[in-house]
Amino acid sequence: MTTPDCGPNCMETLREIESFLDGELDVTVQQQIEVHLSDCNPCMQRAEFRRHVKVMIRSKCTGDTVPSALEQRIRSLLDEPPVVQ
Amino acid sequence: MAQTAAAEDPALRERFERDVLPLLPSLYAAALRMTRNPADAEDVVQDTYLRAYRGFSSFQEGTNLKAWLYRILTNSYINTYRKKQREPQTVDGPDDIDEWYLYDRLGGRNVELSAETEVLDRMPDQAVKDALESLPENFRLPVLLADVEGFSYKEIAEIMDTPIGTVMSRLHRGRKALQKALWDTAKERGLVDDDDA
Repeated sequence: MTTPDCGPNCMETLREIESFLDGELDVTVQQQIEVHLSDCNPCMQRAEFRRHVKVMIRSKCTGDTVPSALEQRIRSLLDEPPVVQ
Repeated sequence: MAQTAAAEDPALRERFERDVLPLLPSLYAAALRMTRNPADAEDVVQDTYLRAYRGFSSFQEGTNLKAWLYRILTNSYINTYRKKQREPQTVDGPDDIDEWYLYDRLGGRNVELSAETEVLDRMPDQAVKDALESLPENFRLPVLLADVEGFSYKEIAEIMDTPIGTVMSRLHRGRKALQKALWDTAKERGLVDDDDA
């Protein structure tokens, strides 16, 4: 892996970048990484790229058209009389 | 004799219509990514709604409705569809893929970040869906739940009934595999030059 050479915090930052972008780190660590990113352009570039990939996946993997027959069947479930199981 | 409680309780039914029906598009899209097949996705979603409706009286209002529904969806997929398909459980991961696979290929050419991301933005929706669907199930589900649906690690652990450490590990490996799948897709569609092999 080619890691930007800009100080001891790069390795640590990049190791945590997924959890950072997922918002899963402790507030303190989250802030430390934000500080590092604001000072380190190579890490910031990588972080922004990964953030972009996440956003892109989210926006492109939805929006499938629900078949109207499926929607009808599901709506009709609500009108069913009590069911014997 | 068990009854469809919500069908007998107008208030419960009204709440189901108000809160659960609008989630149909996202549940259907998720089912498509899981099953990779429209007919199976319809079955899984219909089963999910049936189970959710029957169990809706036991759902605690104010708790996480979306996570509750995705847990039912995931169980429905695993119980009905996967058994039928006998899809092998992939244990091995894409360990040979670097975490910066896509960045190094798109970005390691001293171009502006905007140029790298532009390639991704130009990818048709279906190409990205295909890339996600190409992942083995163990990796596909955590990536779907985290990156598409926006669930937290803890929520995914509950939805998949899997320890949180396992979720994080599969998510990490799944994202690496997805980077490679996206790159392969971009190459196939001529969006990038295949000159790095």
